[in-house]
Amino acid sequence: MLLLDYQNALIQSLLTERFSGATPVSIDQVVSDFDGVTFHLSTPESKTKILISINVKCYKELVQYGAQEVLEREYGPYIVSPEPGYDFSVQIDLENLPAEEEARNDLIMKLALLKRNAMAAPFERAFDEFNKLAEEASRYTSESAPQGIKEGGEVMAIHYREEEAIYIKANWDRVTVIFSTVFREETDRIFGKVFLQEFVDARRRVLTLQNAPQVLFRNDPPLELAGVPGLSATEGEVSYVTFVLFPRHLTPQRRYENISHIQTFRDYFHYHIKASKAYIHTRMRKRTADFLQVLNRARPENEERERKTASGRTFRVQA
Amino acid sequence: MSQSLRPYLQAVRSSLTAALTISNFASQTSERHNCPEVEANSSPEILLNPLHISRNENEKVLIEPSYNSVRLSIRIKQADEIEHILVHKFTRFLTQRAESFFILRRKPVEGYDISFLITNFHTEKMLTHKLIDFVIEFMEEVDKEISEMKLFLNARARFVAESFLTPFD
Repeated sequence: MLLLDYQNALIQSLLTERFSGATPVSIDQVVSDFDGVTFHLSTPESKTKILISINVKCYKELVQYGAQEVLEREYGPYIVSPEPGYDFSVQIDLENLPAEEEARNDLIMKLALLKRNAMAAPFERAFDEFNKLAEEASRYTSESAPQGIKEGGEVMAIHYREEEAIYIKANWDRVTVIFSTVFREETDRIFGKVFLQEFVDARRRVLTLQNAPQVLFRNDPPLELAGVPGLSATEGEVSYVTFVLFPRHLTPQRRYENISHIQTFRDYFHYHIKASKAYIHTRMRKRTADFLQVLNRARPENEERERKTASGRTFRVQA
Repeated sequence: MSQSLRPYLQAVRSSLTAALTISNFASQTSERHNCPEVEANSSPEILLNPLHISRNENEKVLIEPSYNSVRLSIRIKQADEIEHILVHKFTRFLTQRAESFFILRRKPVEGYDISFLITNFHTEKMLTHKLIDFVIEFMEEVDKEISEMKLFLNARARFVAESFLTPFD
């Protein structure tokens, strides 16, 4: 349970059960996921037709960055018009499933990854843009490069939570992914700082991580975000975590995994901050119990026990 | 135990032993009242000279004796932001349980992290030398606990960061 799963476990288990050939039942279930994403699983027409709808806060932005194409590629034949109140819907007919076990499992996995695929669009676009820019850049030497290539592509902003956003920018030699994250509490902020410092240092310290993306963090907007609107709109402690993905992370073989993985960063990071707080809390609880024990040693055990004679008679105070 | 910690704790122990010679004392100002004079502060003649014991600028103890009560305040070592927040959390956790600690004060004296208030009623019901043992053990353990928690946090952060970055390879 150290790393978070990319798929939604509830959707996965629900569909596995339905696909296993059990008698069809009607379903009406709302499933929540990270980042305020909600799913709705229902059987509106008949028990064999499962409708899965997703609601993402930043769907408009995602569509702008090509989410529709990505989802059409992934879910082509299953797409139906979106359910009211949701952004995107697919419908699965239980009577019309792939015959092989393996294909069925793939389909379940694909559906459980609905959120991941919706969020993947801007990443895919940035990776494609990187390929294009890299190709263009290879035609120039660093001195003769026209401005447009050095600057890189536009910054894509995805406001996936109330106050937090992901910014993605492609350059000819790298793709930069910037997470802005807000700490509600002082404790979270300090714990977060410790964690982020380790993310920054991990690459330098561990030999096997030399190939990992470079991580940077700061409390004011990084230079890449200069001129992006709505940055300082949120009050409070905002941290910017920058991941620099290098060409070796952007190869076609690696990109699927890496897109999935980097999406989980924010939740993973906050999850471990909370988990550390919980652990420290249990530790304090135990330590407090120890202190109480020491203090109780100071209380004399002077409870008068009933004294008995050898024959078992007791003393009683005469009334 | 480090070289400078031993004399520090020894000094606290002796001073506290000396200060804890307290006895019952009814209020001079209101009839049928009996309250800890160090808190009530009603007359200077009942208060004794407060005593500071400092190991360094970040670690010190303030003992405020009076005729019928002693107030002991501890400032716990806080080297950085993390220790500061851990000390804050820990003392908050303890003071919320002040009821079961009898001698723990709900609010620390200003400038200190945690305060104890020992009255003549406590010393009458409990063994004074064991109370002092408790205070000394508390001072020893609290430092240890804070640094252990800090180490744990760093270790976890390191492990978490490495695990997240490994799949990118």
